Amino acid sequence: MDVRLAGVRYSYGSAEAVRGVDLVLEAGEQVALLGPNGAGKTTLTRLLVALRRPSAGRVTVGDWEVARRRPDEMARRVGYVFQHADQQLFARSIEEDVAFGPRCLGRRKPPVGEVLEELGLAPLAGLHPYDVPAPTRKLVALAGVLAMEPRVLVLDEPTAGLDHVQRDAAIAALRRRGGDGVTILAVSHDLGFVADAADRTVVMRDGRIVEDRPARELLYDREALRRLGLRPPATVEVGEALGLPGRPVRSVEVVEAMRGIRWRQAPV
Amino acid sequence: MTALVTLERASFSYPGAARPALAEVSLELAPGEVVVVTGPAGAGTSTLLLVASGFAPRVVGGTLTGTRRIAARRCGLVFARPWTQLTGLCSTVRDEVAFGPASLGLPREAVLAAAARALDLLHVGQLADREPTELSGGELQRVVVAAALALAPEVLALDDPAAELDPEAADALYAALPPLAASGTAVLLATPDLQRAARVATRAVEMADGRVVASGAPAEVLSGTEVARLARAAGCPPPYPIDAAALVRRVAP
Repeated sequence: MDVRLAGVRYSYGSAEAVRGVDLVLEAGEQVALLGPNGAGKTTLTRLLVALRRPSAGRVTVGDWEVARRRPDEMARRVGYVFQHADQQLFARSIEEDVAFGPRCLGRRKPPVGEVLEELGLAPLAGLHPYDVPAPTRKLVALAGVLAMEPRVLVLDEPTAGLDHVQRDAAIAALRRRGGDGVTILAVSHDLGFVADAADRTVVMRDGRIVEDRPARELLYDREALRRLGLRPPATVEVGEALGLPGRPVRSVEVVEAMRGIRWRQAPV
Repeated sequence: MTALVTLERASFSYPGAARPALAEVSLELAPGEVVVVTGPAGAGTSTLLLVASGFAPRVVGGTLTGTRRIAARRCGLVFARPWTQLTGLCSTVRDEVAFGPASLGLPREAVLAAAARALDLLHVGQLADREPTELSGGELQRVVVAAALALAPEVLALDDPAAELDPEAADALYAALPPLAASGTAVLLATPDLQRAARVATRAVEMADGRVVASGAPAEVLSGTEVARLARAAGCPPPYPIDAAALVRRVAP
């Protein structure tokens, strides 16, 4: 399902956080939204799920105009993981929490068990959400959203604080949804995550979009990254340092490109 | 040098928990150190920070056994979720950061100077007149770190302090740690961001299931960096190089 923003603005009182954004996400695109703190990224994502109404311009998700919909209606199409995911957990167990969203949507057989398994949360299913570490709760919030099987996913810093096993599980789950045609917009500062999970990068600064390019292009553009205050992800640092062919950005691509290398033992 | 914090076979359990979150952990923290604590989710890194800085069990309840000596006059702690740390009493960022030094009873000039210094160190001086609850996640995280620094703690425990920061701000925060340590503060830092941690750490501690499983030089302990994981997956023999420069040195001609 496609997402379209045309001439979108949003102000908090006299402070304008989004200053005229035009953006089209085609169905099935996996897009990372980057930019410094305070650039308007979170505000923009909230406009996609009717948690905020634009002060000007138009936001559509498929054939729905978001301004005419309530947040609970939007939940049928757009799954949203908050930056502070604790705000969206409340049930007595992780499993109940994950099952709550699809139940509200009237889904008969939601894939609760499958999603818990997929994200490595199955062993924790019976625990209270607040008895697991804060980053793990973010994964629980993601599970809750995936169990609703939305056609669009909007994720605000989905990997902040996750350990690498959890992060890899989240990336694999998102790639699988992307493969099924789900449109994904993920706000992230984690360029390692961006390299693995996104194909397109959109950069905001001062409420505007200042870059919109394929991830492979931006992540290898040292000059652009420096201008944006970004450092290349480890995959790109390795790709550059070893001169790997084909500009690999995803971990699997880099590992594949390193296959032929002969290693020497570490100096003692 | 005298340790600011000493743990000897310290175990800690949260109230009502079936098993301890920390199990027989021994650790010393000396002035000038930046000790990075790492481990998978649930390993006990956040709990170690709470115990080492004296906040557990005093604030969170629970049971501590073994030995803990805290010689530091003041310990600062920054939680992983910064919004839980706001006083809720201050309508500007300046007041929020000044709250700590003011509650120590310092004169007004010293309070304001401490707040301004801390805000500058984190590059958030321009937010001084803003309402704390209206900051972005990354702005708030830096303000909360500044509030801890304004207390001039001898031990500063930081729980994933850059989780919500953009890369530039995260680099700036990490860059502020070695000078802080050089001035005599001991920094205890829990983070999964091993690539940045490796650049500032003087020592690294790896935890699993509430226990310390490795402790020593960052290059040896932080074997879970992104580069190390890529090298390992591509068949490089251990010890795995922790950054791209080290990786290049391991490639045979």
